[in-house]
Amino acid sequence: MAFSLATPAFSPKSPDRARAAAVELRGVSKRFYYYEHRTSSLREWFIRRVLQRPLNIRRAEFTLRNLNLRVAPGESVALIGSNGSGKSTALRLIAGIYQASSGTIKTQGRLTAVIELGAGFHPELTGADNVSLYAAVLGIGRRELSSRYEEIVDFAQTREFMDTPLKYYSSGMEARLAFAVAVCLQPDVLLLDEVLAVGDQLFRERCLSRLREYHASGGTLILVSHEIDQVRELCSRAVWLEHGVIRMDGEVGAVLTAYSANDPSQNHRGAR
Amino acid sequence: MSALPFSTSRAPTVEAPFRLDRIWRYRELLRSLIIRNLKVKYQRSLLGFVWTLLNPLLTVGILVLVFSHVVRISLPDYWAFVLSGYFVWNCILQTLNTGTYIFAEHSRLTRSVSFPSEILVFSAAGSRLLEFLAEIVLILALLVAFRHHHIPASFALLPVLLVIQVLLVIGLALPIATLSVFYYDVQHALPIALTTLFYLSPVFYPAQMVPEAARSIYFLNPIAGLLTLYHETLYAGHMPSPTLLVGMLAGAFLVYLLGYGIFSRYASVFPEIA
Repeated sequence: MAFSLATPAFSPKSPDRARAAAVELRGVSKRFYYYEHRTSSLREWFIRRVLQRPLNIRRAEFTLRNLNLRVAPGESVALIGSNGSGKSTALRLIAGIYQASSGTIKTQGRLTAVIELGAGFHPELTGADNVSLYAAVLGIGRRELSSRYEEIVDFAQTREFMDTPLKYYSSGMEARLAFAVAVCLQPDVLLLDEVLAVGDQLFRERCLSRLREYHASGGTLILVSHEIDQVRELCSRAVWLEHGVIRMDGEVGAVLTAYSANDPSQNHRGAR
Repeated sequence: MSALPFSTSRAPTVEAPFRLDRIWRYRELLRSLIIRNLKVKYQRSLLGFVWTLLNPLLTVGILVLVFSHVVRISLPDYWAFVLSGYFVWNCILQTLNTGTYIFAEHSRLTRSVSFPSEILVFSAAGSRLLEFLAEIVLILALLVAFRHHHIPASFALLPVLLVIQVLLVIGLALPIATLSVFYYDVQHALPIALTTLFYLSPVFYPAQMVPEAARSIYFLNPIAGLLTLYHETLYAGHMPSPTLLVGMLAGAFLVYLLGYGIFSRYASVFPEIA
């Protein structure tokens, strides 16, 4: 049940690598240490080390346990599950932001993760400056960016504001610009963490059609979403996570049916 | 290091701490961040760089006033002496202070994108260093015009001094930034440490005034060595002793390696904590 049920699709972008998985997780566990002293001080260090008294500073908890996941190039996979089930952690592990406590993670090709929209944006810089900064954060060179710049601006529909500092943008405009940079840079693997809820209805429609286009041209998509309709529309496969383990992995319709039948509200846990 | 009440979730991949290849791969990001730092600082300021100069110039003025007329340090052209060291000190001080908040400031970024996070420290040091380059050009001009009346050959050594300065600044800023992620105390402790260091470094007095017996301990402070090098090349206008120059190069490199090593040990948990 842990491994992919879908047949690997062939990617026109990289036919030679089609047999290799785009993303492969083997026995991946992630254990967080909850640093309760996060905002605290040397006082606790003193109590522990100098006075040799025990101090319950951290407790460890598994957020993901022995996760096996293989995503073929060109596949579109949704990670679903209730809050705290480990979806975002899985995405951050694949993106290389977190390091796994155990297990191996392999990815193929250029991977772009959109965990938070516009994470590298600076409010004092202009829209154009922010585009180049965000592209640099995503690992895109200047030359490549300039060949895509027009496309980004067109897609975001912020042309007349490109020389305006970002702090004067509406939140919708800012999100549109960030999303435009991420999808227009043609990654091989695109990770999206609940970022499709941006902009107005019209922009969301264009995002969805853009993602379908991306998928149709062979791009691999891994999506975390709570919106069942979006998942059904964009993905062919769904992975249902619960308490950090895979509860079900398979064709999107079947998994969503089972997931909906199971009352998701009973599994609520803390955020992470 | 084991004294810290936390550890990474597994043995870290011990890469060579001299990971210039990583920095090189992300040079575009480094460049963008340096430009961003400078743009954000200067784009909406009419006087811009004047402000950057004004504060240290004022301090230099006060130091010159006090130490040539009240507490008398008899050095010819004492203003030139203070000028050739104080801006170096100021550059180091500001970069180290930036280290205490740089990861907290960029926590959204480290939580959502995977990149070598030392780039943030490098970019802070880089943009400050570019400002320093502009300052030092001005200082050189002043020294040539009003003290040496010709360009001393020792000025050619400046690039070497800059290399030592970069290695030292980054080697000190990385562990400070690392510690700041775990302990907010660093923000409070660092200004105290730096004030102490200001008096223990030859900023307003020459290192030769330190008693002979204490000098070997005195020069354990790498900043003392760096400032002495600046005094000899810029203020005195003669070549520094090769022992000091080579010793400082080696020492700065060691500080850089150590600092980078400490950072690398803990960098992987920053996205979870900062």
